Amino acid sequence: MKTNKIGSKKKRLPNPKRVFLYFLLILFVFLTLLPLWSAVMTALKTQEALIYSNPIQPPIKPSLDAFGTAFNELRRPILNSLMFTILATLLSCVLGSMTGYALTKVKFRGANTIFLFIIIGIFIPYQAVLIPLVQIIIELGLWGEISGLILTHTAYGIPICTLLFKSFYDSIPDSLINAAKIDGAGIGNTYLHVVLPLSVTPFVVTAVFQFTQIWNDLLFGLVLTGAGVSQPASVALLNLQGGFVTAWNVQMAGTLWYTIPSLIVYLVLGKYLIKGFMTGAIKG
Amino acid sequence: MTNVIIKNLMKKYGKTVALMDVSLEIKEGEFFILLGPSGCGKTTTLMCIAGLIKPNKGEVRLGGTVLSSSESGEFTRPQNRDAAMVFQDYAIYPHMTVYNNIAFPLQIRGMNKSKVESKVRDVSQRLGISNLLDRKPKQLSGGQRQRVALARAMVRDPKIFLMDEPLSNLDAKLRVYARAELKKLHEDMGTTIVYVTHDQMEAMSLGDRIAILNDGVLEQVGTPEEIYENPKNLFVAGFIGNPPINLIEGTLIERNGKIIVEFGFSSYELSNGIEIMKKTKTPEIMLGIRPENITITKESRENAIQAEVEVIEPLGRENIFHLRVNDKPLIAVSITNRDLNVGEKVWISFDTNRIHIFDKISQKKIN
Repeated sequence: MKTNKIGSKKKRLPNPKRVFLYFLLILFVFLTLLPLWSAVMTALKTQEALIYSNPIQPPIKPSLDAFGTAFNELRRPILNSLMFTILATLLSCVLGSMTGYALTKVKFRGANTIFLFIIIGIFIPYQAVLIPLVQIIIELGLWGEISGLILTHTAYGIPICTLLFKSFYDSIPDSLINAAKIDGAGIGNTYLHVVLPLSVTPFVVTAVFQFTQIWNDLLFGLVLTGAGVSQPASVALLNLQGGFVTAWNVQMAGTLWYTIPSLIVYLVLGKYLIKGFMTGAIKG
Repeated sequence: MTNVIIKNLMKKYGKTVALMDVSLEIKEGEFFILLGPSGCGKTTTLMCIAGLIKPNKGEVRLGGTVLSSSESGEFTRPQNRDAAMVFQDYAIYPHMTVYNNIAFPLQIRGMNKSKVESKVRDVSQRLGISNLLDRKPKQLSGGQRQRVALARAMVRDPKIFLMDEPLSNLDAKLRVYARAELKKLHEDMGTTIVYVTHDQMEAMSLGDRIAILNDGVLEQVGTPEEIYENPKNLFVAGFIGNPPINLIEGTLIERNGKIIVEFGFSSYELSNGIEIMKKTKTPEIMLGIRPENITITKESRENAIQAEVEVIEPLGRENIFHLRVNDKPLIAVSITNRDLNVGEKVWISFDTNRIHIFDKISQKKIN
């Protein structure tokens, strides 16, 4: 019986449907990776080689010069971006978590109305508030400063962070919060000792989301810092383009530098995205 | 004195009334049961004592101090009340070890480390969970979690324990065991316990006294015996007892100077009928008789009603007989009558001292 089975497996011809499916999948992978391939190839070329070859061709003599040039241009902006992205991500996550906790577990009158107003904040397009935003930031004396970007990104991050945390806190049983109250913890201690330690998963999810969002932002960076010393990496990348000639190799090398922090965030925190920490919370 | 006094407690959720004018006193050291079907307001009452719910009206006192009063506006937050609670789903903190779970109420009150440790060791030894202190809740079985929840409540030496169906998530065998253990624990500690359950068996076996609630109204308070032997109304009579009490509609009439209950198909003479007749305004009544107070005989006797055996449930120690009296079902429980067969015509008579007569309109007990 057993040998029969193995024998039949060996003889079996590939299913034509399956062959077609794999063909399609490979095609999609190819199409998806093509821009990345093209970017890497272009970044490895010299300015001259760009003229003689098409963007998909690999360079004959690979050179890392473009990476060096791009790095010199982007070093300061990337540090700027890292600073305000990390700070704004942390701040908006902490504030969103506190707001989410207050709205779900500290029962007070008007909580639903407040939540509604916060949610409306998600749907207001950035462009609609751009002029008053710039005016406020100038008024605060924060224009051209990294702190202005931290403030703006934190404020704009709170609604979505609140929404994400609230939906998670809705799943924490009320009895757990009640138990903490009975055990002697007030609102603050309950948050600190019970709610916060249970929030590892939503913190990671929200942080990854916020990091990507803030890191990729161009609009706020452009209007709140201009081309000054505090300009974010996204703005600097745009400025790499130059006025008359575009150095595609430098541009592509810059883009690759620019994606590295996001990539690291995904690689480091990715495994936490899948993990669940709430198992065993309630009856079993 | 760590008694609990509840006065005219009322709680509304929008338009639904969860508790209506409930007043009761729980004595010091008592194992007090709040019993009723789901949605009757028993958990709401417990939450009002705990301070997790603010009542709309009424007063709650614990050991002489007012915890909440709608009149003076006083309200003590749950963290400042000296009451510990065990929840139905245990509500153990999933991210903490068993040790930290038990220690949490002490740590949050700022007790010093060595004292916390000795108290946690003490209570976990008492409940037989010393070997589990390093584990996380998800590594525990249901019964072990229940003990951890109990330990967390006990470690504080509170004035009062509040328990919200703590045994309902355990399997049947474990529940009987845990019940006995809980009773023993109460006898050892002597602390007042307020215990919410919908299980009448649990209520009868654990409670010093039982309060029965229905639709937010307190129906009766009494010892298990009082409630079983002398239910105040139809609801209590029907709720307590398994198999349930038999209720038969009838009319009180006077015949030859004696008071009898006329069922339509048959009649039954009451020994103390004159008194009953005096107390009631309407002659329409419900006659209640518990299954074990019915005697089945094969021959006709004086004041007996004819019935037919429909189903016999042999339970070993006793038999449950499902009878049919003129198309109406009737249940009898007997440890004798082993020779009866299904379909047999028999005669039933009631234990005269155990007959309950209820007014059909007010549903209150008359005799």
